[in-house]
Amino acid sequence: MELLTNPLSLMILLPAAAGLALLALPERFAGAAAPLGAAAAFASLCVAARLWLGFDPAVTAMQFGLDRPWLPYFGITYSLGIDGLSLALIILAALLTAAGALASFGQIKESRPAFYGCLLLTEAALAGVFAARDLFVFYLFWEAMLVPMYFLVGVWGGERRVHAAVKFFVYTVAGSALMLAAMLWLAAARHAAAGAWSFRITDLCGAAGPAQGALFAAFALAFAVKVPLIPLHTWLPDAHAEAPTAGSVLLAGLLLKTGVYGFIRIGVPLFPQAAAAAAPWLAGAGAAGVIYASLAAWRQRDIKRLIAYSSIAHLGLVVVGIMSFDLTAVSGAALQMFNHGVSTGALFLLAGLLHERRHTRLIEDYGGLAASVPAFAAVFLVTALSSIGLPGLNGFVGEALVLFGSFRVYPWAAAAALSGVVLSAVYMLGLYQQVFFGPLRRTENRVIADLRPREWACLLPLLALMFYVGLKPGALLRRLEPAAASYIESARPGALPPAAPKEGK
Amino acid sequence: MNPELSSYAASALAGPLLLAAAAFAGLILPLFLRPLRGAQGLLALGAAVTGLVFFRRPPSAELALFGGALTLTPLTAYIWAFALAATAAVCVISISAQAEPEEFRGEYYFLLLMSACGLMALAAAGDLFTAFIALELMSLPVYALAGITRGKAGLEAALKYFMLGSFGSALLIMGIALLNAVCPSLSFAALKGAQGTAAAAGFMLATAGFAFKTALVPFHMWVPDVYEGAPAQVSAFMAAAVKAGGALLLCRLFCLLDAGPAREAFWWLAAVTMVTANLAALAQDGLKRLLAYSSVAQAGYLATAFFGGEQGRAALLYYVPVYAAATVGAFAVAAAAGGGEKGPAVKDLAGLARRRPWLAAAMAVFMLSLAGIPPAAGFFAKFYAFAAAAAGGRGGLVVLAAVMSAVSLFYYLRVTVVMFMAAPEAEQAPEAGGAGEVLAVLLAAGLLAAGLFSGALLGPAAAAARWF
Repeated sequence: MELLTNPLSLMILLPAAAGLALLALPERFAGAAAPLGAAAAFASLCVAARLWLGFDPAVTAMQFGLDRPWLPYFGITYSLGIDGLSLALIILAALLTAAGALASFGQIKESRPAFYGCLLLTEAALAGVFAARDLFVFYLFWEAMLVPMYFLVGVWGGERRVHAAVKFFVYTVAGSALMLAAMLWLAAARHAAAGAWSFRITDLCGAAGPAQGALFAAFALAFAVKVPLIPLHTWLPDAHAEAPTAGSVLLAGLLLKTGVYGFIRIGVPLFPQAAAAAAPWLAGAGAAGVIYASLAAWRQRDIKRLIAYSSIAHLGLVVVGIMSFDLTAVSGAALQMFNHGVSTGALFLLAGLLHERRHTRLIEDYGGLAASVPAFAAVFLVTALSSIGLPGLNGFVGEALVLFGSFRVYPWAAAAALSGVVLSAVYMLGLYQQVFFGPLRRTENRVIADLRPREWACLLPLLALMFYVGLKPGALLRRLEPAAASYIESARPGALPPAAPKEGK
Repeated sequence: MNPELSSYAASALAGPLLLAAAAFAGLILPLFLRPLRGAQGLLALGAAVTGLVFFRRPPSAELALFGGALTLTPLTAYIWAFALAATAAVCVISISAQAEPEEFRGEYYFLLLMSACGLMALAAAGDLFTAFIALELMSLPVYALAGITRGKAGLEAALKYFMLGSFGSALLIMGIALLNAVCPSLSFAALKGAQGTAAAAGFMLATAGFAFKTALVPFHMWVPDVYEGAPAQVSAFMAAAVKAGGALLLCRLFCLLDAGPAREAFWWLAAVTMVTANLAALAQDGLKRLLAYSSVAQAGYLATAFFGGEQGRAALLYYVPVYAAATVGAFAVAAAAGGGEKGPAVKDLAGLARRRPWLAAAMAVFMLSLAGIPPAAGFFAKFYAFAAAAAGGRGGLVVLAAVMSAVSLFYYLRVTVVMFMAAPEAEQAPEAGGAGEVLAVLLAAGLLAAGLFSGALLGPAAAAARWF
């Protein structure tokens, strides 16, 4: 029963059960799939809200802890617990899934039950990744997440969907193959030292021994593919561009975050020395990614590819932040992970709505839309500005904190990342100008519909968050800072393992 | 022997005796009783299912029968249950695909059940010579089954299998002869730690003989052609039951060896198998050929578990049914997809998700399970096997296995791409599924459950693993 009464566990099991039920829904009830899927997504959102309300920002230990033996023969426990960072990402997952489910009503025509099933299963796996306190459970959800996402991209995606889906799946699984081996190596070392199996992250801290460098490299490869750091990013533009709207939203909003989250929760605490040695290189790769991806975004002709490249740039900045081990920068990076999910999620939703109306993703097919769809243009403008990092909106707070904090540690990387912020204004405003301003070149663009109530419903919460976090970041930062502090603590070579999860709430 | 144990022995022996009785009944009775003609499949299925239903939890003891030639241990019981389940599954596919040749129905099921009895005897063998006889009892019927449709591909498969299988048997008997010179009793207990050149050579030859049945590279040459040419359900039986028997005996041999060059030979067998089979599978077009190479690759992962000590053997015993369920299920899909004697090409599955969504979903689970993607049980099986091997100090082999698993994703994914994402050449109407489809869906559901609730299978496997 504890599995269902613990809200964290429920956050995983509810969407998983709903997703499986939808997958099994007979074809003759297909009409009910969309409302059912959205209802399940909203139910999960309520559970996420319950987590937010029950979360005590003053407590630094893991909250909503659950620790049950699962597969005792290999010492595997179903061990969950969240800190402020996990909380923010789980809420983001619930929010974006609900928004994506609503936005997909008009876009998905075929095999609807399976679509909503895959969407909910992705949400469940994401929540599992962010809640796991056991390395096996983490890996399980980490890999399981790919399956529904693979089908989302491959079945309901754009024209080159099969190529994109296979590339995505193979890239990420190949990246994490060595992680599996490294994880077993680590657990075997712990087994040899302690005489018993355990995959709890806290138990594995300090078990790495002399092989630390190689083990960290294996984990870092898996995480870097997901982030993605250049030059491992090539799967991302294809997958993001070809995925259906809800898939792009979850990919950009959350899947990428799992990579950064992996560094924070696993890569660095388990291998502090190796991580400290590799940090400048990773920060450098992040900074290089900011510049490269910004320049690449500038040259895109496809709206979704442009947003995809902008994601690489934003995540590069986040990596610079977390690799500087500075409280300001890490808190900012954590906040920026949330912000990027909100603003890029909204951008992909908007791009999806445009595609739904005009069936094209090419920038050149648009132009002058501000005249025909003023409300849409206004929403897009706010979102684009949030993504650029205009003061007063959410993106500014995160970017500023990352840059202030990391400048002390990596002045060059921070300077390079700063130029990326400038470039983001160039490509984002360029996109806005080409799509919404200028003359209405095409007659089709004259008659497209403005935002409908349902579309407002999925965008308004995100817009509200952009303003709320931009104007009053304290509420979120207060919860993120303890997580950032304990991450920095865990990164000190020779540091004690982080506190064990607290039982109950 | 105390009465409780002897009552257990009687009930346990009822399983193979039931299969043998059903085999003879199906062969002979229809000659006299007209209504029984055509019902042999149900008879065989009934015998296997009855054996399973009345299966008793084994006592934690070793029962020696026939002067130690057969021993009943929890390990034996575990494999017997597996043999009964695999036989039942193959019977279901045979009945549903109407794959058994009409004029030889009695012979067909006779051979199938006899081979299953052979596997059961192999699992119970107390000495190497009994193991040889059991292996022959298991193999000879399968040679005939491979060619039972008398098509060109089937006969080629039967001949090839027979020739190479006999070669494997010859190696094995040569090895047994050498070991006999060193250690006349030949029982597994007596062979443990046998020293000397003759013993080493004997072990190597015996290993080669069993590696033929398990299909480890380089003893796998027969596999692709035979699996492709034989009827799908016979290939399923070979991939599940025959391979399980071979792997079991290989592991028993491995346990007899001290650390040294002979154990290193297993390292090389596992490594070469994983690399070769996974790379070769990438280039396959036929579904059955693909599954054949996949089964060879899986044998490599199985052999990885040998290095994990007792936990590794528990992982091996967990791996075998999980792998077998996915492979039998995939062959059931191949049988349902038709495609002539050599079975369907992978591209013939296009649009299967439209025509038969449940079958396609089940096939997707089988492929993901074989690829080792969670939450399918195949992931857990690989995880346990690799974890045990890593704890046994074989980190390098684990790295190789993990990388080759990633490579295998290419060919397993291709099947799902074709089923779910490729447009079929012609629009096809939805089709009704038969018993084979029900079996596939059940196996897929079992694979999803067997992973997340591994304890149910891993517990008995761990109990059995103590008795190698």
